[in-house]
Amino acid sequence: MQDKIKTKLEILADAAKYDASCASGTAGKRSAKKGEQGIGSLTGGTGICHSFTPDGRCVSLLKILMTNYCIYDCHYCINRASSNVRRARFTVQEVVDLTLNFYKRNYIEGLFLSSGIIKSPDYTMESMVRIAKSLREDHHFKGYIHLKTIPNASPELQEEAGLYADRLSINVEMPTEKGLNTYAPEKKLNEITGAMGKLDHKITEHKQSKSYSGKRPPRFAPGGQSTQMIVGADDTDDKIILGSSVSLYDTYKLRRVYYSAFSPIPDASIILPLKPAPLVREHRLYQADWLLRFYNFNLDEILQGTIDNMLDLDFDPKMAWALRNRHEFPVNLNTADKHMILRVPGIGVQTANKIISIRRYRTLRWEDLAKMRLPLDKLKPFICVLDYRPPPHLLDSNHLSQLMRPSQQLELFGAAT
Amino acid sequence: MINIMIDTCPGFDQWRDAARRCILNDIPPDQILWKTPDQAQDSLFTAADELPPDTPDEFSVSKDFIDLAETVMCHSDNARFDILYRLLWRIRHDNKNLLKIKTDSDVMAATKMVKAVRRDAYKITAFLRFREIELDGREHYIAWYEPDHYILQRAIGFFKTRFRNMNWSILTPYLSAHWNGQSVYFDSTPDKSLLPEQDDFEDYWLTYYASIFNPARPKKKAMLTQMPKKYWKNMPETRLIPDLLKTAEARTKEMIKKSGGGV
Repeated sequence: MQDKIKTKLEILADAAKYDASCASGTAGKRSAKKGEQGIGSLTGGTGICHSFTPDGRCVSLLKILMTNYCIYDCHYCINRASSNVRRARFTVQEVVDLTLNFYKRNYIEGLFLSSGIIKSPDYTMESMVRIAKSLREDHHFKGYIHLKTIPNASPELQEEAGLYADRLSINVEMPTEKGLNTYAPEKKLNEITGAMGKLDHKITEHKQSKSYSGKRPPRFAPGGQSTQMIVGADDTDDKIILGSSVSLYDTYKLRRVYYSAFSPIPDASIILPLKPAPLVREHRLYQADWLLRFYNFNLDEILQGTIDNMLDLDFDPKMAWALRNRHEFPVNLNTADKHMILRVPGIGVQTANKIISIRRYRTLRWEDLAKMRLPLDKLKPFICVLDYRPPPHLLDSNHLSQLMRPSQQLELFGAAT
Repeated sequence: MINIMIDTCPGFDQWRDAARRCILNDIPPDQILWKTPDQAQDSLFTAADELPPDTPDEFSVSKDFIDLAETVMCHSDNARFDILYRLLWRIRHDNKNLLKIKTDSDVMAATKMVKAVRRDAYKITAFLRFREIELDGREHYIAWYEPDHYILQRAIGFFKTRFRNMNWSILTPYLSAHWNGQSVYFDSTPDKSLLPEQDDFEDYWLTYYASIFNPARPKKKAMLTQMPKKYWKNMPETRLIPDLLKTAEARTKEMIKKSGGGV
């Protein structure tokens, strides 16, 4: 390979870095069996993080654009037609070679391929599918492949993509249709959701047909689909954003919704804000998304009592809920059901399970909590155990919010000004 | 007091045999000193005693305990022998559900070791880097890795599965493993000089790593939690980190200036 590969890599990796959905998801287990050709495996869990960049993100996949030439002009996008960025385009063979050689050196779990739109959506999508097909069929590559599909490419190509990819995704880009129309004039919400609906249908169909057809149908995107939306480029509030997520999870059974705090890009469109959205907002949205999916919270509970339907930036959404619902506390960890234990600030799913397992054999004391290394200062007002109850006025105190205000945490996000 | 020498590494089978004899001969934990060869220079060292006699009696322990012991045994702390024996003793004499009491001090000590071993066995699958050489006219991939614990055998399955049709060697300070596509050969005298100085694709990898870093949001602490500095020396891309961090702010300002310039 010559150095033009290096230049392409520079341009096309740089162009892909604004995509938040970098992690490889779970798509079952897979590997070359004894006597079979091929390289690679899926371990069954989420993908391995082979490195971490200084922005704290996990490097799991070779995440590149096939090309950053684009006929569309989406304002938030560094690669929009009217931008002055350097352009490049990988050939099918170049992407295949890079993926395999990175994989053999244990740098990556697989490929995350996205692309600008050249000539036509179908033309672009067809080249992307060829890359995935070559990896799978010419090289028997068993590693992870995530394709970011082009929403208005033909259904046949979407379907073919699903045969080779472990996960497919289509970005909704903006949390509202109005936002999409303003910022991505060539993209249409109904095309995006239409494509999501079709993928969901295919994924479900594949899963169901296992049981009654004699022959197992070919794999179809076993890792499901995900999407991403940009947060903070317009004035959409958190309730609307999370509402969109809930509806996407429900309607299309998405595995993940990624939130990407708007970050200034070189040569930006003039309709974009100049300042980055606070990273802590992105973080709060992920926390809220987690509460919705794994902690049995609903949208109204999370946003009830917030100002302008925005999540509190100072407190994580669970603590914020607890501070607003003090009448629900203290929770007795020796008798409470799991639902309520999960609502205690500072107790996660694992801890809750541990508590339930221990209390079968002995009654929990304060000492046990200390040994589990729980954040005791955070827990103190909200729980009781055999030998501990919060002092009667602690929960009612006006200073409780002050006490609970994190002092360290902001440092984590401090650099993003 | 009885001195027991474990001279294999990590030493599970030897420990299990000794522990079985000690339990059947009713020797309490505080009557045993577990020794390894590296303590030989130790002034407190006394010669190893003969193991207590084997007896035909048998006893069983739960699978949970065996799983725990196998994992704890990979830990580099020699206290592992003692902790495991004490647990075994207490499970037999005090409480057969001891392992369920997650806040018991011995259980916690063992659990902490399990976590360290698991993490270490995971990190090798993540942070190990192969370099390519030609050996007997075939591609051969070589890696040098320095684990905290004795985890190479534990982690080897991952590499066998993932890189089944490649030939490779993994070298660590205490053990090396060589795979020829069929079987694995372990060697307890690893030779680091087998590792080539460079690899043709490393430069592309560094280019990729530098290009996906977003200078607008450096989070050094988050990176260090996941990838502490002790791993850096065998990961080629980490040599870029100081410079990426140093120039991040200037690059971001430049970007904002440029994007604001047109307004």
